[in-house]
Amino acid sequence: MGFGRYVTARVLWAAVVSLIIVTVTFLLLSAAPNPAVQRAATQAALQGGDPAEAAERARELRGLNQPLYVRYFDFIRNVYTLEWGWSVSRSQPVMEAVTQALYYTAQYSIPWTILTVILGPLVGVYSAANMYSWKDHAATGFAFFGYAIPNFFFGIILLLIFGVWLEWIPITYKTGVPVFSVQNAIQLAIPVFVLVTGSIGAVMRVSRNESAEFQNADFMKTAKAKGVSPLRAYAYHVMRPTLVPLSTTLVGQLLALFLGASLLVEVVFSIPGLGRLTYEALLAQDTNLVLGTTLFFTFVAVIGNLIEDLVFTVLDPRISYDDR
Amino acid sequence: MATEESERFDKVDWNDLSRSGRFDLSINSIGMLLTALPLTLLGVYSTAFTGPRTATFEFIGLEQNLESLDFFFIFTLLLAFWYLALPLYQNPRMTRYYWKEFKRNRPAVVSLGWLGIVFVGGLVGPLIMDPPQQQLLIGYQPPVFTSVVDTTPATCVGDVVNGRCFGTWQHPLGTTQGGKDVFTMIVYGMTISMQIAFITTTIVATIGISFGTLSAYAGGWIDEIMMRFVDIILSFPTFLMFLLILYIYGAGLGMFIVVFSLFAWGGTARYIRSKSLSISEEEFIKASRISGASTYQVIRGHVVPNAASSIITQLTLLIPGFLLAEAQLAFLGIGDSAVPSWGQLISAGRSDLSFAPWIVLAPGIVLFFTILAFNFLGDALLDALNPEAEAESE
Repeated sequence: MGFGRYVTARVLWAAVVSLIIVTVTFLLLSAAPNPAVQRAATQAALQGGDPAEAAERARELRGLNQPLYVRYFDFIRNVYTLEWGWSVSRSQPVMEAVTQALYYTAQYSIPWTILTVILGPLVGVYSAANMYSWKDHAATGFAFFGYAIPNFFFGIILLLIFGVWLEWIPITYKTGVPVFSVQNAIQLAIPVFVLVTGSIGAVMRVSRNESAEFQNADFMKTAKAKGVSPLRAYAYHVMRPTLVPLSTTLVGQLLALFLGASLLVEVVFSIPGLGRLTYEALLAQDTNLVLGTTLFFTFVAVIGNLIEDLVFTVLDPRISYDDR
Repeated sequence: MATEESERFDKVDWNDLSRSGRFDLSINSIGMLLTALPLTLLGVYSTAFTGPRTATFEFIGLEQNLESLDFFFIFTLLLAFWYLALPLYQNPRMTRYYWKEFKRNRPAVVSLGWLGIVFVGGLVGPLIMDPPQQQLLIGYQPPVFTSVVDTTPATCVGDVVNGRCFGTWQHPLGTTQGGKDVFTMIVYGMTISMQIAFITTTIVATIGISFGTLSAYAGGWIDEIMMRFVDIILSFPTFLMFLLILYIYGAGLGMFIVVFSLFAWGGTARYIRSKSLSISEEEFIKASRISGASTYQVIRGHVVPNAASSIITQLTLLIPGFLLAEAQLAFLGIGDSAVPSWGQLISAGRSDLSFAPWIVLAPGIVLFFTILAFNFLGDALLDALNPEAEAESE
């Protein structure tokens, strides 16, 4: 299989996966009673009307009386044409709510991702170069600490120390602050720090163990014998082969954290981003918005996995396309 | 060990080893059957014959009630006892070897001790301790050896010196806003954590192993479809799916365990498949095939034991993720609010953080140490159980 065919197959597969997830979502939704219909029935019963009739009218209004396959194709079409409906709780289209929230999510996600991607491999290779020294042990301890401490718990503690006791950072996130300002940097420092400690541990461990392999490789001995400076030797001969296996775990790690922990961190630090939007939609029983935000996260996950696979094959020519 | 003879090839009792009949069960299986049968009967009795509000043991006058989750938990405990603990006792030589290897990793030994405490606490604690009671008058008691300003708790249980209320041994980790004892709540949370750990690993192992071997032995396009299915399972965003299910149907702890374990077995299945494919090429498999071993016997006797070390490691490293997810959901207040888990306690104490930090700190630190311990344990098990992996471990 050539590279072009592999890419096509992989993209098609991503489309299939996303379609399956959307289908499962649809089935889950259609199997359950619609809260909006129930609300309408309750309303009618309270006002002395006929609840069954009101429920029927509400169902008709939402097109729920149509056969299942019609609704399914409508659903699929709307999802893929990005017509995600109207959010009742926020009185705006779901798409608009998601884009607005994304603006705040991006403000901490981008620095967090960049820091993890740059610092993780660097510290990992550094601690492999000084293996079993106190620096290595310190880095390993830090990695385990960051990996094991629940992000939301860590966030609460740091907020208590720096926000309540020391009063260095504001306790609630201020939305009116310009993106590139000292104030914004200060209020985002702790959330970014919490997320980086959570994600960097795994990256550090993998890059440490992977690069340990290359340190005593023949090409490294040759480089040293030729008198290549240690910095250059590590940058060119250890870092590069390390990055290849690392890239497989990296995207998955970041995505898992992005999907789960960002929700918690946003709730803890009251950042009005995507995670908080999901949370509020859940509490407000806003079906369209819940669906919109979860589907958005799902698509991010599917596309992230796709990019990871493609980048991996571009980076490492040794991988054959046949066994995937 | 000079006094003890090591096993010798010519002294092996072959009649003991080769059980021919299908119904000729090992002592482990007999024990499992004998203990699981009354449990199942009790479970059926509890669900079918007693009302939802009558306690399970009312017929012998006990107030103890068992939910379906508890039955599952006891079942997994029995499994762990008959197929994990007892074999270790039956093979003292291997156990000693594992222990020797395991002991070299000191953090892992400490971790094992900690998890042992959590395990025993979770099992025995709820039996000997009364559930935490709401006592508004003694809310916000500080932990022992610490003190808070006299005005924080309504009435101070301990001594008041210089306007500061001191903690007492009556409430070693303090109390919450409603006067519930934090220590008791943490012990009750241990049960929840152990239930999550045991039940999820059992489900993940069962589905993963059966799916993986089935896929490997079916081969061809069935194998292909099954593995693509695993791909989908692996790329499913579980946390979000659970949020969606929770939103649509509402979900308790049982649902949490089912959903999370149904989406976690992908890695295990993949590993088992590749292991059984590679192992079926080995000479000893061919030898046992020629001597008439059935596919089931090959899987049970060779594939699973050979893959066991990696599976145990994998499962150990899965557990912290489940515990964390449960704590996160409980913290968000959208988990099962009837379940007294650690996350629930953290979320309850969050608003009182500035003047009563122990309500959040105590369960948070316990959760942190438990997750850390599982991680260390997984690392050490990889080295101890699988000497081959030492060279190739990432």
